[in-house]
Amino acid sequence: MKFISKVLIIMIAGYVLEMFLPWWSIAIAAFLGSALIRSKASFVAGFIAIALLWSLKALLIDFSSASDLPQRVAIIFPLRNKTGLIFFTAVVGGLVGGFAALTGSLLQRKRRSF
Amino acid sequence: MKVFKLFISAAITIALIFMLDKSWLVQGNRLPPLGKFFDPFHGFWKNMEAKDYTGRENINIPGLGQAATVVYDSILIPHIFANTDEDLYFLQGYITATHRLWQMEFQTHAAAGRVTEITGPGKDSVILTYDRGQRRLGMVYGAENTLKFIMNNPVSKMMAEQYTAGINAYINSLHYDDLPFEYKLLDYKPEAWTPLKCVLLLKNMAQFLSIGDKDMEMTNALNLYGKDIVDILYPDNERISDPIVDHAGKWKFKPLTLDTVPYALPEALITTKKLPPQDPTTGSNNWAVSGIKTKTGSPILCGDPHLNLSLPSIWYAVQLHAPGINTMGASLPGAPTVIIGFTDSIAWSVTNAQRDVVDWFSIAYQTNRRDHYQFEGKWRPTRKVIEKFNVRGTEAFYDTVVYTHWGPVTYDRNYHGAKNLTDYAFRWTAHDASNEFITFYKMNRAKNHADYMAALEHFESPPQNFAFASVQGDIAMRIQGKYPVRRKNEGRFVLDGSKRASGWQAFIPNDQNIMDKNPSRGFVSSANQYPADSTYPYYVTGTRFEAYRNRRINQVLTDKNNISVEDMMKLQNDNYNLKAEESLPYFLTCLDSTKFSAAEKQAYTILSTWDYYNNVDADGASYYEAWWDNLIPLLWDELQKPGAALTTPTTFTTIKLLKQKPGLNFFDIVSTPEKETGKDVIRKAFKLGVEEIETWKQKHKAAAQVPWADYKDSYIGHLLRIEPLNIHVKHGGNHDIVNAHSKTHGPSWRMIVSLEKSGVKAWATYPGGQSGNPGSKHYSDMLERWTSGQYYSLLYLRHQGEFTSRYFYTVNLKPTEQ
Repeated sequence: MKFISKVLIIMIAGYVLEMFLPWWSIAIAAFLGSALIRSKASFVAGFIAIALLWSLKALLIDFSSASDLPQRVAIIFPLRNKTGLIFFTAVVGGLVGGFAALTGSLLQRKRRSF
Repeated sequence: MKVFKLFISAAITIALIFMLDKSWLVQGNRLPPLGKFFDPFHGFWKNMEAKDYTGRENINIPGLGQAATVVYDSILIPHIFANTDEDLYFLQGYITATHRLWQMEFQTHAAAGRVTEITGPGKDSVILTYDRGQRRLGMVYGAENTLKFIMNNPVSKMMAEQYTAGINAYINSLHYDDLPFEYKLLDYKPEAWTPLKCVLLLKNMAQFLSIGDKDMEMTNALNLYGKDIVDILYPDNERISDPIVDHAGKWKFKPLTLDTVPYALPEALITTKKLPPQDPTTGSNNWAVSGIKTKTGSPILCGDPHLNLSLPSIWYAVQLHAPGINTMGASLPGAPTVIIGFTDSIAWSVTNAQRDVVDWFSIAYQTNRRDHYQFEGKWRPTRKVIEKFNVRGTEAFYDTVVYTHWGPVTYDRNYHGAKNLTDYAFRWTAHDASNEFITFYKMNRAKNHADYMAALEHFESPPQNFAFASVQGDIAMRIQGKYPVRRKNEGRFVLDGSKRASGWQAFIPNDQNIMDKNPSRGFVSSANQYPADSTYPYYVTGTRFEAYRNRRINQVLTDKNNISVEDMMKLQNDNYNLKAEESLPYFLTCLDSTKFSAAEKQAYTILSTWDYYNNVDADGASYYEAWWDNLIPLLWDELQKPGAALTTPTTFTTIKLLKQKPGLNFFDIVSTPEKETGKDVIRKAFKLGVEEIETWKQKHKAAAQVPWADYKDSYIGHLLRIEPLNIHVKHGGNHDIVNAHSKTHGPSWRMIVSLEKSGVKAWATYPGGQSGNPGSKHYSDMLERWTSGQYYSLLYLRHQGEFTSRYFYTVNLKPTEQ
């Protein structure tokens, strides 16, 4: 249960912070969310939260648009197709989210041990 | 231990963010900062526009004088309504930047030789070599000369400054989120706009259209083969086209005359590897039909400039409305005014005049230091300009360019210099100060023929054929530009830079330029052909003049009466291949049908029954063009030799020589022991062409057919030359055809204007869209109609409140309180 609420908290915090701050604010969201809520597998929680946040947002944008730009960007990198592109988007965000969440959880344990 | 883990984890997180926030070079390719770029809240995903996206409805802009309105129609053409000229040009800058900022800046960087600042030196320094070439051709030098002149005129100064201020107001309002896609991809930011950039953009167009020359190639040909052969291979006038203006015996002015000078030929061959020229097949069509030949009784003007097609699109359509002006048409993103368009009374369009406005002067330096050069028996000092290139990702590169009074020395020991180290100074009319802004300022307000003539008085570069029509019923053509008065053969070869007499002594007075008004045939037209009949008293030369499109257009216009707008649309999209009509029957007689393979037999049958139309699905067109493309390199193989710069004869001359002189020595293929005639080469090229088609068929799932559009595989290329950003289109036509769409070049803005007294009506389309954002549906939404020969009826508003139901959205612009 705590795992899920951690994911949700990070997603919400990430969404809010991204409205005001650059892309790296996802790290703040994951770090804080993970420091506040104790759960197992913090890295996974952070990874999933940001990967979900970014891929859902990307999907939403793609859905409401008539442009084939994602397909073209996918070929530039090359990531084959739109699915590959969204997957890559998720991984890039997920990695940062995961490590930031891990850092947050370690801070929490550290504080307890004093 | 936990502290240690925390430390490691935090370090990884921070390092990861750092790495993903920075742009990296991977195997010579620049990767954008991955985190920044892929973040869907700020990165490239943010450039994706929703299907029903409209811009903001109310915008406050610092620097705007009074409140103004912009109405957008369904294809995102802005209709700008301002209360003053100052606000009009300010808003033209602001609105154009809203849709085309990246392109505007990139093109001016390209003109000024600054692309390496964005991309780095490129593979084998190709981009740096390009940048150096731009500086060495004097692009910035010419732009600065022109800018001084423009800033001396209060009207053009106001235009340049207001347009610039508008662009900068837009740039200043941007955050990373709002940056155009390409800035995010290449990870850089726009810099402040300047009036110099507006001028650079015009010079960019001048470079496209008027920098072509073949002086060095012709000089080599003269040295190698002698004058008789040069006259056979490269005649000045092929005497086949209808001249644009035919006034045989009626040129009633006293021309300027000059004492002739012999051309001084260098003894050694010129081995300089010149910068690649513009595609010689680039051209344009325009014509105006008098009311006596049209259905409505009002003149119709058609404009169709052909350029290297690119995305974002070359043109940006706009309507400009303020007290004293109501004009609509195509503008060049980065320069104020409408360049090709119409007002409520007149319409105009341009094609390139092809005239030679370029010369190369050989320079003899006193010493290796290049401080002085010989001129009129004395040593004249040079001026050395050190050009700095702030190459991205590496240290700055410096290049010294020597300037003489003729102009910059483009090719020398440091640049494209080959074995013989003769230096040549470059002289080009676009180096000179001129004020084309005033031409378009006046043209955009013109009411009649007299206004059109007055506007053209200011136009110098690049020389253009200006077609004109008015609601008063006049049609006209004027071949306007600044042309040196040339002695016979002057301008075809390199010149001796040590003599004053080699230089341009005078320019043709404006009123002696080639022009025409209301000719009896009922139409004016131009398609880059030879400009005048042989009695025009000035010597005319050019890189190459067109031989096919002009005859087809004139034939159709002569035959037709009671012409409708639809007829004109049809003519602009006409795929009739006159070149094939004149060459294919002869080519077919050269073949030996007894020795055909199965594929060749099939090719022969298809070609003999082809109707000469390069239509989308025509197999015959594919076979013919493949044959032709294999023929030229075989025929003119000795003109491709590495030791000397040479050029091939024109298409028309080639066909003529094949028919009339099949035994010409040049037709022999040097690399084979036997001696081939033109007929032999035609046969060989047929074999190769058919083989090419068969290979194509294999590559395309063993296709039974080769539809022309598929075989041609034309595409509209993104300015960055990144293949996935190009758009491939299936379209007929080709160079030398009225619908002049080759693989990469073609009609960049098709416009038809009916000048009816009850109100001017216009139709247009172009291969792309109004938005420069590849994430917008307006990036290429006009492409479909362009490809299928359909047009948009332009929404030309007499006042702001007209036809409100056809508005897409309206933007209210207000000055910000300061």
